[in-house]
Amino acid sequence: MFKNEEMEINLGPQHPSTHGVLRVKLRLDGETVTHCRPMIGYLHRGVEKICENQSFFQGQVWTDRMDYCSAVANNLGWAEANEKLLGITVPRRAQYIRTLLNEFNRIASHLIWLGTHAMDIGALTVFLYAFREREDVLDINEAFCGSRLTTTAFRIGGLREDLPPGFEKMVRKFLAKFSDCLDEYEALLTENRIWKKRTIGVAKLSAEDAIALGVTGPMLRAAGVAYDIRKAFPYAAYAEMDFEVPTRTEADTYARYEVRMAEMRQSARIIQQCMDGMPEGPVMAKLPKILRSEVNEVYHATESPKGEIGYYLVGEKGSLNPYRFHVRAPGFINLQSLPKMAEGGLIADVVAAIGSLDIVLGEIDR
Amino acid sequence: MPTPTLTQSIVITLIQCLLVVIFVFVVVPLTVFAERKVLGHLQMRLGSTRIASGHTGLSGFLNRGMWKMGKVPVLSYWRGIPGLLADVVKLIIKEDIIPDKADRFVFFLAPSISMVAAVVVFAAISFVPGTFFTFPTWFPLVGGLPVSGGIADINVGLLWILGVATVGVYGIVLAGWSSNSKYPLLGGLRSAAQMVSYEVPLALSLLAPVVLAASLNFTEMATRMAVGMPIWALVPQVIGFLLYLTCGFAETNRLPFDMPEAENELVAGFHTEYSGMKFGLFYLAEYINMTVVSALASAFFLGGPWLLPFGLQGLLNPYLPGFLSWFGEPHAIFFVAKIIFLLFTYIWVRGTIPRYRYDQIMAVGWKYLIPLALVNLLLAAAIRCFAV
Repeated sequence: MFKNEEMEINLGPQHPSTHGVLRVKLRLDGETVTHCRPMIGYLHRGVEKICENQSFFQGQVWTDRMDYCSAVANNLGWAEANEKLLGITVPRRAQYIRTLLNEFNRIASHLIWLGTHAMDIGALTVFLYAFREREDVLDINEAFCGSRLTTTAFRIGGLREDLPPGFEKMVRKFLAKFSDCLDEYEALLTENRIWKKRTIGVAKLSAEDAIALGVTGPMLRAAGVAYDIRKAFPYAAYAEMDFEVPTRTEADTYARYEVRMAEMRQSARIIQQCMDGMPEGPVMAKLPKILRSEVNEVYHATESPKGEIGYYLVGEKGSLNPYRFHVRAPGFINLQSLPKMAEGGLIADVVAAIGSLDIVLGEIDR
Repeated sequence: MPTPTLTQSIVITLIQCLLVVIFVFVVVPLTVFAERKVLGHLQMRLGSTRIASGHTGLSGFLNRGMWKMGKVPVLSYWRGIPGLLADVVKLIIKEDIIPDKADRFVFFLAPSISMVAAVVVFAAISFVPGTFFTFPTWFPLVGGLPVSGGIADINVGLLWILGVATVGVYGIVLAGWSSNSKYPLLGGLRSAAQMVSYEVPLALSLLAPVVLAASLNFTEMATRMAVGMPIWALVPQVIGFLLYLTCGFAETNRLPFDMPEAENELVAGFHTEYSGMKFGLFYLAEYINMTVVSALASAFFLGGPWLLPFGLQGLLNPYLPGFLSWFGEPHAIFFVAKIIFLLFTYIWVRGTIPRYRYDQIMAVGWKYLIPLALVNLLLAAAIRCFAV
């Protein structure tokens, strides 16, 4: 008389907690997820192809628009990859300023993650608190390069401008209060019983699975693998910085939360060091009028807030634009682990898993 | 005191109904407004604590308020009113969309069930024992007659309240089913399961005062609970109150138990397909339910129209000096003040804690709340046997 049937349901592409236009095909047995497949491509713009048709300078504005929550980190990767390709050495002061802005960007990106992830789990207040501090970071972006979100912060060879007057004061003011702000978020979440119930043991992804799937960033570090490109293959001024790579071994949503919260504290530490040890000197290298590639191909990976963002550039010697351009987008690769994390859980766990992935669809679809 | 004729009783009851409806429709918008303001201050929201008019008067509110932000005195309680008014206007004039595949009749019926069930509960709630006020003698038709503090102070008041409040869940389940859409269906099913589970500890926690007071009549119970209880009765009352409040959150679908409409999982849950004033009715019903739950908690645990909660009034009264005797008597204002405080608690909790997962809600209900409520009932019965 009765028959059991699984219900197929689309989570997205328009859904409050898929962080953009992600669509997840779910098959539900009651509320249990038996099958989960992320469907992407709703935000595809062909960034890679566009960059192949533009000069080395022009490509940077497109990297802003990939992961628009961490535009500075994308800019940094792009600039450094091009510098490798074109054989340019960047002045030390520019390296420091780049490192500083990159860490500010990590804080801003993690704050967005914290706010949206907490909101997905129902803690509304953290969202607004996190955005309050993010606003200050965006103000710092604005003071440096005039734009808040799509920064186009750097130039190939260094920076367009030195730090503006009053910049140091802004940074110091932010640093002075930021640790207390983090304590405020943690007071709402870290020891909250419901938050722990919703995150501990949820959406597990073991170190083996994470490595097999190519997952990087806080997701990997929450599984106990201390792989951080800032330490493993230092770039910009990271070799001179003293910071720790926070790791956890639980590999669940709560561990990812702890890792990212600890990373924000480390970022503040790096910013402090950059500000204290800021060297004097020029911020732009001497460049020829027309940039021509020096080597044939280059792959440059940096640690974006989401994980390893790699730029692969092929430029025939002497050419004016890259012949082939490819981005190893951390969000795209991390997203592939969603079925592994979500299948067998409940719908609410899928939402928690998506939140803990910290994805931005602009980067996944490119 | 003259005995009212049938006509006069009917007129008085109608006046009481009117008063209750006015009360509901004053309290609900104020709650919504308070929710915006309180959450605004808790969460540092900018809109709801700053939108106001630069000019006085209604036209100032409506015409210029929305875009003249930040040009008002710092201490203005009415900041945020334009946002509220705009929301009401939006709800009323918005297009009412009915999905093609929906069951049209049930789709219409569901919000009305929710709304009616929520309002009808008020019939048995009495705001103050005895006479609320007496009509002046010059008043036509009903001059000189007393008006009691509740519409129908019936002997099975609590049963009526619990029974009718349960009907409200039909509105949600039917809304989820009739929309013929997947997310509302999940929301409806969740709410059915949740409400059935939490109805049990809710009723059990209310049984403790019933046992102690030996009555189901709303006024009698509130009076006995407030005065005439031994000090021992404090314990089951406090436990019962906390249990009741927890279940009340679940019954009204508020955080941390807002499963049926968990926005981040089920889009908008059972009312995903509703728009315009049909959605508005669900919205109203939710806030009326909150008021009802607060009113019950206030009457059965917090001393109702008396000043002190948990039956402490009886201890205080002998020591009250004569000039303060006003505080020793029941007043509707105390009752309303407690309702308002509990409504604030709803908003406060919403601003503080995350949402439970569906299976965890069930676990909390069945594994913790029901056993605790049973133990509490036993405790109340023991006190009833030996101390009263």
